[in-house]
Amino acid sequence: MRLQEKLEAKEFVVLAEMEPPKGVDISAAVSSAMSVKNAVDAFVVPEMSNAVMRMSSLGGAMVLANKGLETVIQVCCRDRNRLALQGDLLAAHALGIKNVMAVAGEDISFGDHHKARAVNDIDLLELLGAIKTLMSGKDMAGIELKGAPDFFVGSTVNPSTSALELEIQELDRKIAAGARFFITPPIFDIAVLEKFQKRLEGRQVFIIPTVLLLKSVGMARYLQRHFEQVHLPEEFITRIQKAPERVRECVQIAGELVAALKARGASGVHLATIGWEDKLPAILATAGI
Amino acid sequence: MIRAVGKPLEEIIGMVQNFDRILLAGCDGCVTVCEAGGLKETKVLGSALRLYFTQAGQNKVVDETTLTRQCDKEYLAQLGDRIDNYDAVVSLACGAGAQFMVDMYKHKVVFPGVDTCFIGVTEERGWYTERCQACGRCILADTGGICPIARCSKRMLNGPCGGSEGGKCEVSPEMPCGWQLIYDRLKTLGQLDRFEKPVDPKDWTSSRDGGIRKIMREDLRI
Ligand code: SF4
Repeated sequence: MRLQEKLEAKEFVVLAEMEPPKGVDISAAVSSAMSVKNAVDAFVVPEMSNAVMRMSSLGGAMVLANKGLETVIQVCCRDRNRLALQGDLLAAHALGIKNVMAVAGEDISFGDHHKARAVNDIDLLELLGAIKTLMSGKDMAGIELKGAPDFFVGSTVNPSTSALELEIQELDRKIAAGARFFITPPIFDIAVLEKFQKRLEGRQVFIIPTVLLLKSVGMARYLQRHFEQVHLPEEFITRIQKAPERVRECVQIAGELVAALKARGASGVHLATIGWEDKLPAILATAGI
Repeated sequence: MIRAVGKPLEEIIGMVQNFDRILLAGCDGCVTVCEAGGLKETKVLGSALRLYFTQAGQNKVVDETTLTRQCDKEYLAQLGDRIDNYDAVVSLACGAGAQFMVDMYKHKVVFPGVDTCFIGVTEERGWYTERCQACGRCILADTGGICPIARCSKRMLNGPCGGSEGGKCEVSPEMPCGWQLIYDRLKTLGQLDRFEKPVDPKDWTSSRDGGIRKIMREDLRI
């Protein structure tokens, strides 16, 4: 189990997002993952991100785990009530999953099944509490478990938010509820991350920034316009625009960000390539990993 | 109408005990009909609180009033000239009324005096049952005028579940099976073919799942 050990040993970790398929053909995800398995410590398998229906995180993670890859599963309260969440967590442990990340989950209206009914029986902090309770050998009803699961628990944090005070309060509550590693939304401006990390002094947590692979000028502009908090410097857009080979430039930018984060002492990095997982080896090579 | 029940006295005492001047605000709307938060209940609560605080040796002001409705601004505004005489208000309206009071009096502490339960009917005085979950897109035309969302424990739209026993729901022998009611009614109406046409998964966007709901009636707003 490389992830927890490496983080605790203060070694730089590389996580890669591996979206399970919408369907049952897992070959692309598996071959992308296998092609970078030596450079990636664990694959983060999203739980129907953006509320788009696809293979579940636990299922996708098991497919990768069966190939000998370490994974981080996501659990989310949007689609499952407290029975289902606890049941899946027990299953995850029994199947050998070690890393679990509690996420809020986007609203159903953002996804492709608008008509669905959201569950939201418990919330994110209560879910973290539930994981802690399960690890202590009891379920949420206080009933003794036959064998307690053991997880390395994480969640999310947003260093770029304009409501930083609130975010740090929330982070402290997540830490108190047992979360130890935190993955951020995409970071393009390392100064934002460093400023945030200064505020966290004394807290024993691992902050893992996401490096998002820009795929085009259009995508970068979209991020700039619609996600104000992303702080995407204009310089990156100009670089892609002027590059003779734009895709290569996108890979170059992501690789440079990874290298810079590593050089500045980040705990690790989480690579999100949204469909371009085949670019992972090139990004890692650019980063010198 | 909305049905509510008064909160236990101890809970209300717990909420207001750190305040010296307390206004209890009842509502003449739904909560009067279900005898949870009308003038009578407001007065009873006021007497109970005064008695409690007197016996506890605490000198507090507890006054009562009622408003025609707390879900309309013009009635809430009637509190404007005296609300500042109080440190806290206990609203005995439904949760909507209590929140509308918060909207209007932003610096005033407002506590709920009732538990708002459901949209229902009066079976008999003091006996109310749920009939509607305000899903925002009424399906009664297809279900013989009986709503499975409100009246089937599993909210099944293509029921029954198979657990019904003697016309009662498997969840509790006290509860009529919603789908038995629907079946009986459709049989009476000669519309049992409803059971041959399964309905599609419901669109819940008009329910709470589509986010915070609002109604915008342009025809009324001109
Ligand atoms: S017994 Fe009837 S009311 Fe109860 S869950 Fe089944 S179908 Fe619904």
